[in-house]
Amino acid sequence: MDIQRVYIVGAGVMGTGIAETIASTGTEVVLIDKNTDLAEAGVKHIDENMAREIERWGLTESEKKAALSRIMPSGDLSQIGEAEMVIEAIPDRLNLKRGIFGDMDKLAPPEAILVTNTSTLSISEIASATHRPEKVIGMHFLNPVPKVQIVEIVRGLRTSDETYKTIREFAQSINKRPILVNEYPGYVTTRIIVPFLNEAMHVLMEGISTAEDIDTAMKLGFGFNVGPLALADMMGLDEVMSWMENLISELSEHKYNPCPLLRKMVRAGRLGVKTGEGFFKYDADGNRIRSAVEGGKIS
Amino acid sequence: MKILVLNCGSSSVKYQLIDMDEELALAKGKLERIGMSASVMTHKPHDRPQTVISGEILDHIQAIDFIISMLLSPNHGVIKDKNEISAVGHRVVHGGERFTGSILVTKEVMGQLKELIPLAPLHNPHNIRGIQAASQTLKDVPQVAVFDTAFHHRMPPHAYIYGIPYVLYRKYSIRRYGFHGTSHYYVSAKAAQTLGKPIEDLKIITAHLGNGASMAAINGGVSVDTSMGYTPLEGLLMGTRSGDCDPAIILQVMAMEELSLHEANTLLNKHSGLIGISGVSADVREILEASAEGHANAKLAMDIYCYRIKKYIGAYTAAMNGLDAIVFTGGVGENAVSVRRQSCQELDYLGIKIDEEKNENHKGGISVISAADSKVSVVVVPTNEELVIARETEQIVGKKEKVS
Repeated sequence: MDIQRVYIVGAGVMGTGIAETIASTGTEVVLIDKNTDLAEAGVKHIDENMAREIERWGLTESEKKAALSRIMPSGDLSQIGEAEMVIEAIPDRLNLKRGIFGDMDKLAPPEAILVTNTSTLSISEIASATHRPEKVIGMHFLNPVPKVQIVEIVRGLRTSDETYKTIREFAQSINKRPILVNEYPGYVTTRIIVPFLNEAMHVLMEGISTAEDIDTAMKLGFGFNVGPLALADMMGLDEVMSWMENLISELSEHKYNPCPLLRKMVRAGRLGVKTGEGFFKYDADGNRIRSAVEGGKIS
Repeated sequence: MKILVLNCGSSSVKYQLIDMDEELALAKGKLERIGMSASVMTHKPHDRPQTVISGEILDHIQAIDFIISMLLSPNHGVIKDKNEISAVGHRVVHGGERFTGSILVTKEVMGQLKELIPLAPLHNPHNIRGIQAASQTLKDVPQVAVFDTAFHHRMPPHAYIYGIPYVLYRKYSIRRYGFHGTSHYYVSAKAAQTLGKPIEDLKIITAHLGNGASMAAINGGVSVDTSMGYTPLEGLLMGTRSGDCDPAIILQVMAMEELSLHEANTLLNKHSGLIGISGVSADVREILEASAEGHANAKLAMDIYCYRIKKYIGAYTAAMNGLDAIVFTGGVGENAVSVRRQSCQELDYLGIKIDEEKNENHKGGISVISAADSKVSVVVVPTNEELVIARETEQIVGKKEKVS
């Protein structure tokens, strides 16, 4: 099946990232949110993101124009009445996801595939809110979606082989390398990265080294592009904490217990890049502000 | 014999139906936005006005079906029956080291073409898809592949081996291949014909200046060197490509600006060249206008553009130990008077002298624009790659018919 138009529900960070990626590879996107204003704000966000990419020479003005022309904002969920495929990208909370999947199940044609973008929730549980669990599947995109080369494809207990095959081909068609994951809390990426970030926070909290040196040690020592603390800042500390809470509630293992420093920072609203301060400080464009002591960029 | 020539890109197909008895293009056109919601086709029969049609074309098979139904249509068509198409000639960008000439496509050849995809990941997959689609739609019609790289296959190793570990050549076939071969071949032969001399006796430099631009040193009809290399990025300054550049620069910039491979690649291929220097446009016409209005970087961009051409003229004259003719072709080469003038300026040491009046008065077709006392002839020749593809196809199909 060659999918001609993809409907995305949720025009936040993940929804817009997914929309940008799909539109850039030549497929049309209808980007839906609660109302037209929110959906249009999503398109504006994509516009700004692509403009930044042009400044980094990663894209040209005409490629941006072509991609934007393929994205149609909408405030009307009933548009999915013609969909072959819907991707849900609303906040990662089970009751919200189950609610929207119930609505999507009613509105979308019976043969449409319903995809959820979740990083820790159970596909089977989301699917049970519909009458088509064999057509429900997870695609876990990572942020920033246009740049990360993989997507985890998560099969629920009742996801059919046909649905899996279609989504795997779709992932390849948008230039993402699919990683097949059987449903289990945290899949591969979240499960491994979260304790890594948490351990870096413990090392900082215990006064073993500075934030800058912890990140440098992991970058230069092990070839990571980004250090763990800067990565946590980019992901959003509240997000990191909610993933840990999901993992601990599913698996009850001590290693997923959020570091007290993380809890403290989330309570204080220091959430990382999006609030301008986390373990490091950021300007309005999300660029790191480096103090003179740090001695400029390390590369 | 009527031959359909196809040039299949990722989302476009360009085509010409050529009647080989008179070498006349009966119809030509282009189908764009394949696989998107509104595909657009422009179709021009040789004796009627152009038509533009839009519709939904999902893939290359539908595209070729659509082209054939256009060629058959009572209003816009030029043939009455599909059987009138005797053969299909395909442009294929990269022939690697295996394909040194045009070839009849068989199952085995298709397999070999697929093995070449890593050498031209942006072009060859679409060319291959076009061949597959055409052989489905026109069953039993012979399909011929004509390669952009083929004309350069007789370059000597000292021209095609790079100064990097030789093991990379053995392992990945990294070497100079050159591109635009079909065009360099055609215009050099046409120039020799115009000058009334056998090409075997001539030392010619051809400059194909279009969106992409490359030059070739053609000694006795053989391409002995060319400016594009392993990819079409090397050599002349182009609309959006850097051309020759110290490779250390890109490594350093990647480190300083924390660029990914993709970003570095688009920097060199899409943000460099005329647009990167001028900031005005990638189009020579627009840059010349800006330059005339006093835009300093537009002028600088054109100065660099012409200086590179001039340097290659010098280098290739040395490579061939002499020079009889320079040929300009491609959109810029055929139309930009000032580019021809500036590239050949102050080359009197080599015996190159342009007749300014002839240069300015060139209005299409073939013209010799050098001065009567110029040792080297300077010729403008409009290129016709489709005709070469059709001729190659006719020849190969003719051979096949003789054998069977």
